Amino acid sequence: MPEPKVIIISSDDEKFPVDVKVAEKSILMKKMIEDLNPDGLEEDFEIPTPNVRSTVLAKVIEWCTHHKNTVFPDDDDEDARKSAPVDEWDKNFLKVDQEMLYEIILAANYLNIRPLMDSGCKIVAEMIRGKSPEELRRTFNIVNDFSPEEEAAIRRENEWAEDR
Amino acid sequence: MSQTFPVASDLSATWSFIQPGLEYILGAEGDQGVTPKMYMNCYTAVYNYCVNKSRHGSSNAPINATTGNNSYSLAGAEIYSKLDEYLVKFVNNLKKDPDELFLEFYVKRWTRFTIGAGYMNNVFDYMNRYWVQKERSDGRRDVFDVNTLALLKWKAHMFNNNADQLIDEVLEQIERQRNNEIVDTYYISTAIKSLVYLGIDIQDLKKPNLVVYIKHFEHKFLEKTAEYYGRESARFLSQHNVVDYMKKCETRLSEEVSRSNNYLEDHTKKPLLETLNDVLIKDHAQAMYDQFLSLLEHNEIEHIQIMYKLLSRVPFTLQPLADSLEKYINDEAAKALEEIKSAAETQEETTKVDSKPQRRSNSGIVSPKTYIHTLISIYVKFNDIVAVAFSNDPIFIKSLDNACRRFVNKNSIAMSSPKSSCKTPELLARYADGFLKATSKEADIIGMTTENLMIIFKFIEDKDAFEEHYRRLLAKRLINGNTKSDELEESIIQKLQEENSLEYTSKMTKMFQDMKSSEDLKNTVREHLKQTDNTVKDFSPLILAQSMWPFKHSDDYQLNLAPELLPAFDKVQEIYNKKHTGRQLQWLWNHGKSEIKANLSKKGKPPFLFTVSNVQLMILLAFNKSSTYSFEELLNIVGVAKHTFESHLLPFTKYKLLEQEPAGQEYFSNNTTKFTIVDEYKSKKLKVNFVSSIKTEQKQEEEDANKEIDESRKNFLSACIVRIMKARKEMKHNELVNEVATQSLSRFRAKIIDIKRVIDYLIEKEYIRRIGNDSYEYLA
Repeated sequence: MPEPKVIIISSDDEKFPVDVKVAEKSILMKKMIEDLNPDGLEEDFEIPTPNVRSTVLAKVIEWCTHHKNTVFPDDDDEDARKSAPVDEWDKNFLKVDQEMLYEIILAANYLNIRPLMDSGCKIVAEMIRGKSPEELRRTFNIVNDFSPEEEAAIRRENEWAEDR
Repeated sequence: MSQTFPVASDLSATWSFIQPGLEYILGAEGDQGVTPKMYMNCYTAVYNYCVNKSRHGSSNAPINATTGNNSYSLAGAEIYSKLDEYLVKFVNNLKKDPDELFLEFYVKRWTRFTIGAGYMNNVFDYMNRYWVQKERSDGRRDVFDVNTLALLKWKAHMFNNNADQLIDEVLEQIERQRNNEIVDTYYISTAIKSLVYLGIDIQDLKKPNLVVYIKHFEHKFLEKTAEYYGRESARFLSQHNVVDYMKKCETRLSEEVSRSNNYLEDHTKKPLLETLNDVLIKDHAQAMYDQFLSLLEHNEIEHIQIMYKLLSRVPFTLQPLADSLEKYINDEAAKALEEIKSAAETQEETTKVDSKPQRRSNSGIVSPKTYIHTLISIYVKFNDIVAVAFSNDPIFIKSLDNACRRFVNKNSIAMSSPKSSCKTPELLARYADGFLKATSKEADIIGMTTENLMIIFKFIEDKDAFEEHYRRLLAKRLINGNTKSDELEESIIQKLQEENSLEYTSKMTKMFQDMKSSEDLKNTVREHLKQTDNTVKDFSPLILAQSMWPFKHSDDYQLNLAPELLPAFDKVQEIYNKKHTGRQLQWLWNHGKSEIKANLSKKGKPPFLFTVSNVQLMILLAFNKSSTYSFEELLNIVGVAKHTFESHLLPFTKYKLLEQEPAGQEYFSNNTTKFTIVDEYKSKKLKVNFVSSIKTEQKQEEEDANKEIDESRKNFLSACIVRIMKARKEMKHNELVNEVATQSLSRFRAKIIDIKRVIDYLIEKEYIRRIGNDSYEYLA
């Protein structure tokens, strides 16, 4: 008998059968599998993810599959997590349009996949680093809703942080 | 997906959406199981609510009011308090079936509730992960992860109101189990375990504590336990004997241990055992003590072992047992020794009637073998008991040692009167002599071993007296060539040395060296005699260092050497002086013996072989020249003291080698009495020993030995005092006496009076002097 699969169902009802090991990269799914199957998984187990659409879910599952054997640093070890550089594979994997990147980060947060969320956030951080407010508004498509007075006031307050 | 989620910003809609799922999760709707969909829906609703709220701020929430007017904050407070309310209501709604024990109700509901709390914790994971964690790291101690929250609600609304009833029912179940009723320990153990889970430290959730368990359960449990077993043991002992009681205790103790392994916290094990030890053992120790002697008398080792194991659980309860053992061993030893003593006395009476009185040995009538083996049998018997019943516990080993030391040194055989010195060292030395002598018959020395010797040696206080006696007997064995095995002899000396000191055996070791170095001399002399002398066929001189051997040159033995022997004698002197110039040789004529060929047989028969002492040899050699001498003439020829001469002469007349004229004992030592050698000696045997019937001077020897012991003790004590005073310069009387007594223990038990005498002697000799009332000073 083949190993029972976890079938992850996207918000648009697409089914993704994966190994338990892959699904368990999501702490949410891992705990749920444990809670609802205290004696271990005996048959295929469906998990709906009403907040994730299929294209995003496919990416997330791709990531989980790639990392199914990766050992990540301890969740509680904040410093190690923060200082670690983004994994090269993750960097390439996350070379996607901004919309997709955000959705991946949201999905990682929702499904509680810490290392994926960390990588996504670090990539966003890279995008911010060294850019002027104007450049950032362009990059992230933000409308400047400050009045010129407000903006001058904020600049004065934050003068100490300017890069000179 | 048909499910429509509530609007994320709507708290009550969100809650209404979640609540039915929670009912399933906590089992309010019976146990139909939670579907993955239900699980995910609840999670997603909580997620949506928190994310939405966080994104849009929640300045109207009371909890967030404290975080100021930040436009961004984590949401969760409202849904947390909804959950809080819900849990209170849920717990309060749990109702017991009328026919159900409270314990059953509690355990069933608790079990389900904690499973649900675990699920719930994961369903609310998003809130736990962000909002709860943030609140706690901001220092709030009244916000908890959902699982802890659920337990706290249980504690406040279920446990606190019913704690007494719950604990009483648990204790009742335990009592029923103690009464050997069948109870379902699942209820007991789950209820007890719940107390551990409810011990939540709100300051540090990860630190488990036993506050609830100890306060509500442990105290009462220990009280009940003490009551129960206090009652049971008193009742049991009034109806059963102590042995049965002890077995009962063992069973009870092991039952309680397995009980505590099954459902008590480790924390309780120690106080539980202490409680049990007190009520089961300590409170009834006297009953066990009272039974102990009877168990010993009946040799019920197994029961003694049980008693020991029980008492050893409680501190300080073993000493009375050890004390009675010590006393019992002493009594047993006294009894056994008294028995062999009176048996020997009866035997002696009968032999007295039967034949002429035996020569009474100087140390009583019990043979060394019987005596030592009796001591050994007591030791072995109780050594076994100490090993088997008392697991060689040091305090019982000490009792055995104390008892042995006492009965070995002080008993009715060793001491004819309370003040006389102990005979055990001498009897032990003679015991050793018994199995070391070549002349002993195998049958007489069965079971006599070095091991026995060493066991008793260890307990002897006057080790110096043993050395003296042993050395004297060893000397005799050596010079008479009467040792069975040099190897055995030396191994014993080695053992004595290991047990005591190198110094202790130094004289004996030197004696062996003398024996060995005399071999060379013997060979040279033999060689020489072969070539030159026809009269003396063989001669084995031994050179013995004077102070090492227990022999003294005696003026009674100024022997005149017969001219026939002079060449051999001179040769020895010559060889020795050549080797060691300036050393003086003294001849100990009172030791050694000779064999001579006597041509006094009938024609055609082989000559007789006489074994004679040196004095006797000179007497007989004189008869080569003349067949008759007067007493005075013979005495002058031989040269020794008159009484010595008499005792050596007597065997000849007694065994009719010499004829006395006039006959009669009263004329024996008249100067003019004539002694004539017979022409033909009549004896059935060809070998005749005239030595063994010489009246020995045993009395004298014993006195010598005692004198020597006294002398060496005095020397030892003097040396000891001088050594101590030299190091300390000044010392109080009592300290000095104590120190000396301690230092002499390895050789003998010094009497205070003897130490005082030696101190006086040393003052007289100006080694030390008195200062003040009670101190001494060393004089360089």
